[in-house]
Amino acid sequence: MTNLGTGNPAIRLENVEKSFGDHVVLQNVSLSVGAGQVFALIGPSGAGKSTLLRCINLLERPTSGSITVDGVTIQTDHTIKPKELAALRSRVGMVFQSFNLFPHMTVLRNIALPQQRVLGRSRADAEDRAHALLGRVGLADKASQYPARCSGGQQQRIAIARALALDPKVMLFDEPTSALDPELGLEVLTVMRELADEGMTMVVVTHEMQFARDVSDHLVVMSDGGILEEGDPHDIFSGPRHARTRQFLRAVVDRQ
Amino acid sequence: MSTLWSDLVTYADPLMEGLWVSLQLTFMTLGLGLPGGLVLAIAAASRSRAIGMVATTLVELGRGTPVLVLLLLVYNGIPLTLPAFVAAFIALAISTAAYSSEIIRGGLQAVPEDEVEAGQALGMSRAHVLRDVIVPQGLRIAMPPLVGFCIIMFQATSLAYVIAVRELTAQAKSIANETFHYFNLFLLAGALYAALSISASVLNQRAEKRLNRHA
Ligand SMILES: Nc1ncnc2c1ncn2[C@@H]1O[C@H](COP(=O)(O)OP(=O)(O)OP(=O)(O)O)[C@@H](O)[C@H]1O
Ligand SMILES: [Mg+2]
Repeated sequence: MTNLGTGNPAIRLENVEKSFGDHVVLQNVSLSVGAGQVFALIGPSGAGKSTLLRCINLLERPTSGSITVDGVTIQTDHTIKPKELAALRSRVGMVFQSFNLFPHMTVLRNIALPQQRVLGRSRADAEDRAHALLGRVGLADKASQYPARCSGGQQQRIAIARALALDPKVMLFDEPTSALDPELGLEVLTVMRELADEGMTMVVVTHEMQFARDVSDHLVVMSDGGILEEGDPHDIFSGPRHARTRQFLRAVVDRQ
Repeated sequence: MSTLWSDLVTYADPLMEGLWVSLQLTFMTLGLGLPGGLVLAIAAASRSRAIGMVATTLVELGRGTPVLVLLLLVYNGIPLTLPAFVAAFIALAISTAAYSSEIIRGGLQAVPEDEVEAGQALGMSRAHVLRDVIVPQGLRIAMPPLVGFCIIMFQATSLAYVIAVRELTAQAKSIANETFHYFNLFLLAGALYAALSISASVLNQRAEKRLNRHA
């Protein structure tokens, strides 16, 4: 399943490094995600998973290295022009652990407003699209509610719709279900699985080993700011090459 | 007591005229001062150090100078001769902008950083994030203290009597100068200020409750 090197990858990271002051958080990370692939990113707390994800859309500015998404390349040791940043971010959608909806707007406006601002769509077009996406994530009846009146699982599905409304080429998820009860998490995982089936390129930081095993087609194990190993999820789950991976997998399986 | 009542009846018209001037002065002061406060609050948080420093300096100067001194400065101190009402509203607006900018800045800072990041991740520009996410929520958070401050500014318009603006305090004083009913006239003026201030603050509290109910 790994199509490294074939065609143009949807995401390519080359020698990405990130430090906060003296604290080196990512060291020499290179990664290539093919179009339509679903990557799961796992690893112990503090490994740098969120930081790596946030480097892909430059919420975190890497100290060095380059980032390419769908043909747009950013050399991070140069000053980044606003245009480049906009081009990159228009290709990348992100879903956060804590949903981060805009609480002062209705669900519909949450999804429509970014389309108007970023893509210049008319309000009518943006709201049509928002209604369609709400239907797709099973929340057609929530359009006029405020986010606070929706459950966590519903809020996260709204956040996914909000990101999809901008027609991203890739979607990043940072532990999208860890703030949710298992039952509500399932609603979200179902939407993500559908998205994967439709061919969306996805990078998912997750503690859901079942999702990592069953939905992702490539698993990346991170530890201490680097990639420990990567490959077919089933292979890694059944025979991890590194002692560190084995230790981590045993710990999560025990916890579940 | 009977003279208090008769003073009220006799001088209701000039007192109400004075109150009307006080209210006009208040609304013009707030109309210029509050947007000024918003601009200063945004500028103080600017990524440009120069803009931030200029804004912070203006705020500190505005807050550091007593309103009375500002009034005299604008009316008497500058080479330009402005009508008293205009001078008063400019001086009061400067003070309003400086003080309200601190209140508004607190509101803007209380908007969660997570939402700002969500806007950035969606590709919204800084200006759009500011306009659509930070300012509307920041102002809502700042609203109760801001309304409280507006009530204080309404009372501060009474200082404009020193530059002969014919607002409520000046009217009361000029009537009292003729009748020597100082106690009655200032009591009536004080009651009018208090009546409006207390009503506004009751309305403010109700509105606050209603906002919280929907939050
Ligand atoms: N803004 C920041 N400033 C300083 N250090 C940071 C910052 N963000 C992250 N770090 C540090 O970087 C390291 C990696 O953090 P990161 O959040 O990427 O880990 P993670 O793998 O996502 O962990 P978790 O599973 O707990 O979410 C940690 O040591 C963290 O303390
Ligand atoms: Mg994390």
